[in-house]
Amino acid sequence: MFKILIIFLSGAGLLACSSVNTISADSETTSITKEYEVSSKIDTIVQPYQEDLKTEMNEVIAQAEKDLVVGRPNGTLNNWATDVVLVSQTRNVRLSIPVMVLLNVGGLRNSINAGEVTIGDIFKVMPFDNEIVWAEMPIEALKDIEDYLKKSGGEPISGATMTSGALKLNSENPEAKTFIVITSDYLLNGGDKMNFFEKRVSEKSTGVLLRDAMISEAKSQGTLIWNDESRIKL
Amino acid sequence: MERRAFLRNSFAVSGGVILAPSLFAQSSVAKKAKRITILHTNDTHSNIDPFPENHSKYPGKGGVSRRFELVNQIRKEQDNVLLLDAGDIFQGTPYFNKFGGVLEMKLMTAMGYDAATMGNHDFDGGMEGFVKAKQFGDFPFICSNYNFSNTPIDGHTKESIVFEKGGLKIGVFGIGVELKGLVPGRLYGESKWLDPIEIANDRAAELKKKGCDLVICLSHLGYEYSSEKISDRVLANKTKDIHLIIGGHTHTFLPEPTQEKNLLGETVLINQVGWAGINLGRIDFEIDSKAFAKHDVIEVVASK
Repeated sequence: MFKILIIFLSGAGLLACSSVNTISADSETTSITKEYEVSSKIDTIVQPYQEDLKTEMNEVIAQAEKDLVVGRPNGTLNNWATDVVLVSQTRNVRLSIPVMVLLNVGGLRNSINAGEVTIGDIFKVMPFDNEIVWAEMPIEALKDIEDYLKKSGGEPISGATMTSGALKLNSENPEAKTFIVITSDYLLNGGDKMNFFEKRVSEKSTGVLLRDAMISEAKSQGTLIWNDESRIKL
Repeated sequence: MERRAFLRNSFAVSGGVILAPSLFAQSSVAKKAKRITILHTNDTHSNIDPFPENHSKYPGKGGVSRRFELVNQIRKEQDNVLLLDAGDIFQGTPYFNKFGGVLEMKLMTAMGYDAATMGNHDFDGGMEGFVKAKQFGDFPFICSNYNFSNTPIDGHTKESIVFEKGGLKIGVFGIGVELKGLVPGRLYGESKWLDPIEIANDRAAELKKKGCDLVICLSHLGYEYSSEKISDRVLANKTKDIHLIIGGHTHTFLPEPTQEKNLLGETVLINQVGWAGINLGRIDFEIDSKAFAKHDVIEVVASK
């Protein structure tokens, strides 16, 4: 609660009367908690929508032994989400050039809590209908990604590690002139100012939504793989 | 915590006469003070149900149903209430993915929202998606610095609105964030983003001219940045005639409104209440109007 007093003139003009408006302000921010009753008017509107979603969203697809949390420079959810993309996208694929996954901290909208993991939980992590895309990048662009990660303070990565500020691909190939970055269509097209994607030599869409990949990998993992490795050391 | 701030200002009236500080003229005619209560939310992000009890950060917090009860309580106590939202109504729970924002619009209408501005995520269903969802709502969207000409949104938003409540005129306009790099281009199409400072000054001056006692900016610029990027704090400093900026975008939980100085050294309040409908912001303004005969000498400085 605070009070403030502001004085300013309004009206005015030399011909008419002047007037002074004294404005004072009180402020209070209230946290919405269980202390407040629910409103039947609102609940009646919500109910049919809620029922509709419930069946689909409450389906338990996996378990989490510990919380998976998004963070900077690293987070257990950062690792899980990018690993899921790498594993699902490179399964049954033989690649001659290195590959990494790059997502964004801002795109992982919620943590996954320990306990039962439902489809609804994955929706909360990845509410956006972002599609997985492949970008083939010139090997020099690795430096741009490195600079970006340093500046942003870290983003979720898989297939690469940054030690004392130097980004290295895990599947290094000294002869490769290009490498693959698997990412989202949002980031590929300029989202979060990842402008280095403009240097891409080629791109490939997959038609797979990031969220759908997460749901199907969560199902096959059964218990979500919890990995707290620090992939980014700035 | 309670504190009082007294602010010093000097003023020029039209004609260039500066009123010298002196004692309040005894002849002034005091009118009864008028009150208006501003309630506000930002970045509710389709959070319709409360967070689950096992949520790691906000267990059991939020929920539209309880928010409405709180709003109703305040409406019972106060005659003049405006309920406003600073954008990012959409995106964040499956309610949006499945129903495209229709439920959010219905609920804000049922709660009696007076106006909202658009956040970047309100473009997530595309412009057609926004218009389609908006049909289920009955409250205005105020967007002053997006030019929607030749887009499906054209004609569906307002540049500013003057609300008349309890003998007061409250002018509201809306300032949005730059969409490039934040929203996929196909979703905002030919929408043009106009300079926030220039537009805010224009709209505020216009609202002042219309005789508004209070001017409120609904902003989705974000509270502050370490870079030069335009934020609510910068907007407050570089404009005039705005009394309150209700912010959003950065999901900032301000413990109390921030006081910034505007171009004339006057105080501007900035408030933002986090996200997801966890909090409801409230600012009660009391406006005391005293009329003076011409050439009355006015003290414009409140004592300590």
